[in-house]
Amino acid sequence: MVKVDDKIEEAIKEIFSSEKPWITIVWDDPVNLMTYVTYVLMELFGYSREKAHELMMKVHTEGKAVVSTGSREEMEHDVARLHEFGLWATLQRGDQAI
Amino acid sequence: MSDQDSNEQHGFHRHGDNAFVAEFSEPEREVLINLVEQIIELLGERTDNHVDDPLAAMVGITTHDSPPEDEVLLRLLPNAYADQVDAAEFRRYTESTLRAKKYAHSMSMRITLKSAIDGIIEVDHDGANDWLGAMNDIRLALGVRLKVEQTSHEELELLAPDDPMRGVYAVYSWLGWLQESLIVALMDEAI
Repeated sequence: MVKVDDKIEEAIKEIFSSEKPWITIVWDDPVNLMTYVTYVLMELFGYSREKAHELMMKVHTEGKAVVSTGSREEMEHDVARLHEFGLWATLQRGDQAI
Repeated sequence: MSDQDSNEQHGFHRHGDNAFVAEFSEPEREVLINLVEQIIELLGERTDNHVDDPLAAMVGITTHDSPPEDEVLLRLLPNAYADQVDAAEFRRYTESTLRAKKYAHSMSMRITLKSAIDGIIEVDHDGANDWLGAMNDIRLALGVRLKVEQTSHEELELLAPDDPMRGVYAVYSWLGWLQESLIVALMDEAI
């Protein structure tokens, strides 16, 4: 049998997988409070305060940050919940330019 | 995003494990009720038009696949995709659910305010999240009207005393401070 290493196996799996990774992006917004963005990321995604704070700072300083990755369906769910709490979020394919 | 100074005396405080308490003067309570009712009314303006298809109504599919024309509604119900076709499709299947959730946040805040005794309100963790969502929607709405996107805080601080936007900005700032006090109380570990 041909020996396939893990990396190649993973790459092949991805080619045949219908669920290519998608990403959820949060965009900077002059209204949302910094602490609010941190709190919402902790509350919705179960992130630690440190991780949520880091993502919030990325949004604040760079204008945007990828806050979650997964299937398209999962990212649509994440975006809907972020919209529920007023964060400015969009989703797209992970391999697309942001 | 904006930073908010929270070194003030009032606003929300944590009481024990799962209670968050605030005390409002009567004018403050009236302002909050008035604002939250305006959000409720605004969300209600975008009614679904699917009476002709009861199945679509049942599963929450709306006829809305184009974004709201009103700037405030567009900020409350934004596009989920940069691509217009994907955004329209997503909106058709999800907008009515999003509106229902925002409506629920606002109604929860309104009921708490309406049932306050001596201006004191108390909410649990879920109620606090409703309040945060509802207060944020009010701030987003006021922010659009104040053109916060294009105007600096310094410019807004210097509005003329007779400019009606000066009062709006004062309310906007106060709400930010109130929202911040609730977040601080929520993030404060229970003793």
